[in-house]
Amino acid sequence: MAVLIAVAAALLAAIAFAALRRPVLARLALRGATRRRGETTLVILGSLLGTAIITGSLLVGDTLDASVRASAPNQLGPTDLVVRSATPQAGEAAAAALDGLSDPSIDGVLALRTLQAAVATTDEGDRRAQPAAQLLEVDFAAAAAFGGDPAATGISGATPKAGETAVGADLAAELGVEVGDAVEAFAYGTSEELTVTAILPRTGVAGYWTGFEATSMNAFVAPGTIQSLRESAGPGAETAQPPQDLVLVSAAGDVFTGADATAPATAAVEAALAGVEGVQVSPVKSDVLAAADAAGASFSELFLSIGSFAVLAGILLLVNIFVMLAEERKSELGMLRAVGLKRRDLVRMFAIEGAAYAVVSALLGALLGILVGRVIVLVATGIFASFGDLTLTFTVPVESIATGFLVGLIISLLTILVTSLRISRINIIRAIRDLPEPAARAQRRLVPVLQAVGAVAFGAASVASIAGDDPYGGLAFPALTALCLAGVLGRVLPRRPVLSLLAGLTLAYAVFADQIVGFEGGDIQVFVVQGVVLTASAVALVGQNQEAVGRLLRLLGGGRSLVVRLGVAYPLARRFRTSMTLAMYSLVVFTLVFISVLSQVFASLTDEVTADEGGGYDVLANAAPANPVDPDDLAGVGGVAEVAVLDVGQAEFRPPSREEFASWGIAGVDADFVGRGAPGLQKWDTDAYPTEADVWAAVAADPGLAVVDSFFLQDGGGPPEQIVAPGDVLEVRDPASGAVTERTVAAVSDAGLTFSIWMSKDSVADAVALTVPARYYIDVADGADAEAVAARIQGGFVANGVQADTFRSLVEENSQANTQFFRLMQGYLALGLVVGIAGLGVIMVRAVRERRREVGMLRSLGVQAGKVRSAFLLESGFVALEGIVIGTALALVTSYQIITQSDALGDISAPFTVPWGQLALLLGIAIVASLAATAAPAQQASRIKPAVALRIAD
Amino acid sequence: MSSAAKPAAAPAHPAPAPAVDRILVATGVRKVYRTGAVEVEALRGLDLTVRRGEFVAVMGASGSGKTTLLNCLSGLDDIDAGTVLVEDDDLHAMSDAKRTAHRARRMGFIFQAFNLIPVLSAAENVELPLLLNGIGAKESRRRAEAVLDRVGLGHRIDHRPNELSGGEQQRVTVARAIAIEPALIWADEPTGNLDTTTAERVLDLLRELHADGLTLVLVTHDPAIGGSAERLIVMQDGAIVDDAPNRA
Repeated sequence: MAVLIAVAAALLAAIAFAALRRPVLARLALRGATRRRGETTLVILGSLLGTAIITGSLLVGDTLDASVRASAPNQLGPTDLVVRSATPQAGEAAAAALDGLSDPSIDGVLALRTLQAAVATTDEGDRRAQPAAQLLEVDFAAAAAFGGDPAATGISGATPKAGETAVGADLAAELGVEVGDAVEAFAYGTSEELTVTAILPRTGVAGYWTGFEATSMNAFVAPGTIQSLRESAGPGAETAQPPQDLVLVSAAGDVFTGADATAPATAAVEAALAGVEGVQVSPVKSDVLAAADAAGASFSELFLSIGSFAVLAGILLLVNIFVMLAEERKSELGMLRAVGLKRRDLVRMFAIEGAAYAVVSALLGALLGILVGRVIVLVATGIFASFGDLTLTFTVPVESIATGFLVGLIISLLTILVTSLRISRINIIRAIRDLPEPAARAQRRLVPVLQAVGAVAFGAASVASIAGDDPYGGLAFPALTALCLAGVLGRVLPRRPVLSLLAGLTLAYAVFADQIVGFEGGDIQVFVVQGVVLTASAVALVGQNQEAVGRLLRLLGGGRSLVVRLGVAYPLARRFRTSMTLAMYSLVVFTLVFISVLSQVFASLTDEVTADEGGGYDVLANAAPANPVDPDDLAGVGGVAEVAVLDVGQAEFRPPSREEFASWGIAGVDADFVGRGAPGLQKWDTDAYPTEADVWAAVAADPGLAVVDSFFLQDGGGPPEQIVAPGDVLEVRDPASGAVTERTVAAVSDAGLTFSIWMSKDSVADAVALTVPARYYIDVADGADAEAVAARIQGGFVANGVQADTFRSLVEENSQANTQFFRLMQGYLALGLVVGIAGLGVIMVRAVRERRREVGMLRSLGVQAGKVRSAFLLESGFVALEGIVIGTALALVTSYQIITQSDALGDISAPFTVPWGQLALLLGIAIVASLAATAAPAQQASRIKPAVALRIAD
Repeated sequence: MSSAAKPAAAPAHPAPAPAVDRILVATGVRKVYRTGAVEVEALRGLDLTVRRGEFVAVMGASGSGKTTLLNCLSGLDDIDAGTVLVEDDDLHAMSDAKRTAHRARRMGFIFQAFNLIPVLSAAENVELPLLLNGIGAKESRRRAEAVLDRVGLGHRIDHRPNELSGGEQQRVTVARAIAIEPALIWADEPTGNLDTTTAERVLDLLRELHADGLTLVLVTHDPAIGGSAERLIVMQDGAIVDDAPNRA
């Protein structure tokens, strides 16, 4: 922020100094802005979109950050550290050691017992259940005083007595219960009926929850209730997970500032726990806040990257507008130069005028960005609701608005300054007489030298980048090398073939770049760079061969039509201007079409992804760890053919690429499970294991091996990031005891639904003390309806807190969320297309003004007004269509190559399909909108009166 | 009447042309320019007849109305009163579309600033009026090349205006004007942007075309050019003050 303020201040200060030093320049500049209101409006509208997109992207990230952060006060409150114990004895020892702990960095210690259990209403006629609720035992007086701020704890009233429960608001809403209603808690094969005596808010201790969800399904029970359930345990209790004894520690400070004292508080707690075995201290608050920051940054980055196309288009639009304004005032500028204004005074004058536009447009753009962000968040709310009930609360921090304003302002100012330097280079006489500038200008001698040096330097950088598998350098440097080579070779060889060859080679390289360089692990910015290189080289290739396009059109019969001749003559002849417009259109259309194709392909992968996730199984069921189901009971459900049980728990992992341990699910498999068909694999050492079955067989037999899922250890959303590779050695830490073991990654799986690493059961038992046989992969009998079987299982084992879904329904739910997300990105990209269309409109306004005389001449020759209008419309339609065809063709070729030939998206075998209907609609709207944007200038052209336009004076 | 007492000089008009010879008849033509509350009468109820095959030069000081006259008589601009008949067609009774079509069929224009389409070649510029008149692409190309050859530019047909000299550009303009074999050519300061030698060459071309039967109305401020026409009209303050065969 400080850098942005400094840059903006420096630019504005320089311009303000120029205005103060030469007030006449300021007067001329601002008179131009205030007297030409139409143009002023056009400039401001054209430049505010870029700022709006930047601001909107930042606000989306802030909203996600704040929404995830909201879990801190809601689900942790004053809790900064959690001490977990491997056994109840360790829990008691930890509580005793920390009781009364006095340290300046700690302002509270609270013992808590938790157990995941199913809770249901008791009304048999209308039973509602929450299979994954949490029972908590805590002294309410101590809890309310925890951390020194009772409001932050959410706890009020007396500790529930035996038979009573204080239910969290989320659970109450889920079950539809109020104070006085009865509920039943299930654990260890038995149950207890409880009366609801209070409903607590989702705040602090009352909302304590460390799961993935943003809701807290809590039921506070009387101390001893959980132990009572355990002692009257029913079948299966011996394998069930024991309750978790926790000690919550509040670091000095409030809900958020307490996280800053995490380090000294952790040190104090660990010192107090010295000698206590089987305990682990977790900095849960700082982890949540770090996750919030990561999620927010990741989303801002995603939307900024997608929005960068629109920002680029906005810059091109601003350049076009400013050049148009300068050409409009050419004779006035010539006269100013004639009466004594220096060239740099012209630049200053434009800069002052431009600064006024830039400030206003940046301000308006920042405000519009709030609306843009709001719309994105509205659309994204539905997507995130399906992922862990996360509620997005739109946030508008002043800092982000200021950042958006400053970035937009700086971009506008720099664009205007550079453009002003260019347009100030006028010949006085030609300007006064409004004559065109000569086509070519002599280049300075330094330019070819720079081009030659550039070719060598970028060439060397290209080689280094390709050798180092650097996707950014591997894309950008070869393109820059080709650009410099074009300048050098174009001086000594025929320009068109040389430029065409270099552009064609760069284009081909960019299409196949991921196979040459390798984009594995690359993120969205790589795609942005690839898109820019692809469209730039394609536009350069087409631009050099526009005559061929013209010949083709004539062959197709365009030679007969005067309207066609006139309509395409200018775009084919004015290569630079046409190329700029083509670049704008093709860049945005490329990305839109690419996303549409990807979205379609992913949606068609349901069968393949379902097979990858489920292997040979149809239904996934998870039971409450405190109340696992006997697999024989499951096997007895109608329609069930086979049941495979996995031992599940949580462990902490540290791969070679990271310094800190991170928590992830762990699942133990056996030979029976893998024998029926385990989840699909993406990568493994094919020399060591010829087939996927060989991998799984090895993992089931060798406790030193593991298979990681596709999202292993990934923070935030987005596509899989490949944090580990086959052959990597992971450190595995038991969160309860702290014991560390090692496992070698045998393979990376395509599956990701269960967020688990798979090992043999023996391996899991060795790594982690606390696991429960609570996950079931169920094979449905031939002819049975898998959905019905899943529903029967879920309904029949409410007491065990079973959640059962078919793999297909889980995959489809994900797929729908992905599709919605793609739609969101497409909508965001459409903003870029709006900018491109506006750019075309501005170019046509310019064209009409530049060609007034020519239009007058055509009308004098006998060209009807309607034909003049048609010619202009055809001109804009032709350019738009050319840009759309280039972008579409590039996107289809690139997506075909990536989907069928490359493994950048993982090992998918879905056929390449194109959503023709969707594309026809999108691109049809783009064409129509382009024509609509140029309708007004075309109509204006048709109304040009010959005598006036020819300016024939007596 | 005594030859010693001559009446005050009145514009000496040429003898009225027979009806079949009249290509243009303008009667009581009035044109007023209005800018806000200010009205300027650019043409004051002017009468003019041009015969087929005539070479007429219109001269006058700046602001005399000579270019306005060209604009109004050719139909490029509207009039406020009067009639203009071109080959018995009342130009200003036509709609804009019909007048435009009439121009395409029957008139050619040569401007001081050439006004060629910069992105079209010489041949393509000359083809424009031919295509406008419904002549096919191949035939238009053939005729364009022929007429460019006629004006001495047969070797420059594929060059764009920025690749031609001023004189060559003006010859392309002439070729474009005559390509459709119009009834009438209007030329506004056709040599105004040319050096003396080049201007003379262009004028020679125009004289040749006139000798072949072309009707030419040329606006100029240059007495040397005006002197080369067979009839000289002098304008002043929106009225014709002299109209006589050129005695030069």
